Amino acid sequence: MTGVSEVPLARTVRAVYAATAAVAVLWLLGIFLAPWLAARGAPGASRALYALFSPVCHQAAGRCFTLLGRPLAVCGRCLGIYAGFAAGLLAYPLLRGLSAEPALPPARAFVLAVLPLAVDGTAGVLGLWRSPLGLRFATGLAWGTLLPFYALAGAVGLARLLRERRAERALENRAGPQ
Amino acid sequence: MDPHKPEYFRPALIAGAAAGVFSAIPGFSLLNCVCCLWIMGGAAVAVKLLAQASPVSLKPADGALAGALTGIVAAVAHTLISMAFPPDIEMARRVLGWLSGLGIEQPPNIDSLLEGSTRLMSPGLVILGLFVTAAVFAVFGALGGVIGVSLFGRKALPPAAPPAAPRGPADAS
Repeated sequence: MTGVSEVPLARTVRAVYAATAAVAVLWLLGIFLAPWLAARGAPGASRALYALFSPVCHQAAGRCFTLLGRPLAVCGRCLGIYAGFAAGLLAYPLLRGLSAEPALPPARAFVLAVLPLAVDGTAGVLGLWRSPLGLRFATGLAWGTLLPFYALAGAVGLARLLRERRAERALENRAGPQ
Repeated sequence: MDPHKPEYFRPALIAGAAAGVFSAIPGFSLLNCVCCLWIMGGAAVAVKLLAQASPVSLKPADGALAGALTGIVAAVAHTLISMAFPPDIEMARRVLGWLSGLGIEQPPNIDSLLEGSTRLMSPGLVILGLFVTAAVFAVFGALGGVIGVSLFGRKALPPAAPPAAPRGPADAS
């Protein structure tokens, strides 16, 4: 495994962590920027940001927190998921460190994190109850906090796999056609 | 070819096509409003199919690759279905009415959004929309794929063969 061993694992983990954190911050920023731009008289940029988030959220005004009197670009539950993702990212180095290969969370952590969201969401769709915005945010937050542990494991694994394949290809090219 | 290298494309094609079709059907598509649930679920199903065909445990990278592919296939299926069945405003109004009955409030400018949606089907915008959707679905699919690996990708190790009994002095005689 020449290719992979050339780059220390810790450096890959740190680079992937930094890139994931940057994307998470930009994503969260976009959610708040959409209403802020609308309030500041930039409707075109605001509309583009709302459109960017529309494939992943219904954006129903009554289910969104507001900023300057306008709804955020995603609903309360989605905001909880993304805020939870950021919180999970902050907690990650304290819990796992940034030098070891990221391990996947156990299945029971998945069940514990997704259960509140699944119960609340299903009951809402079936019309059994209508949960307040704060509860929606909290169920999203619980689920989102676990997600970086999967995201980092996948991204680090992918980075190493791609590097490994590049090294294999380089070796084949160096050997030349047989 | 390495027989242990997983074959990503077939499971991604099956699960991605299903997830993309459901994502484009009014009503069903609402599940995508929770963290792209159709796409993440589709990616997890792709990993389940991949795990069934693989003799070895899958790694998180396998899940991320299969999931991202599933997301891209789903984006293509979603776009094709959306083009084949352009938005039916009356149908959309009925779905929105049903949602209002469930207490789900609609955006205040929903009428102009619905009417605008029929004008947004120009080829350039469809292609741009496909790229944006593919990028978003690929990210959520990769995440769903890694979750799929944690749930379905691990294989129990075969029981270790018992060590050969040491040949003691009694055996030697």
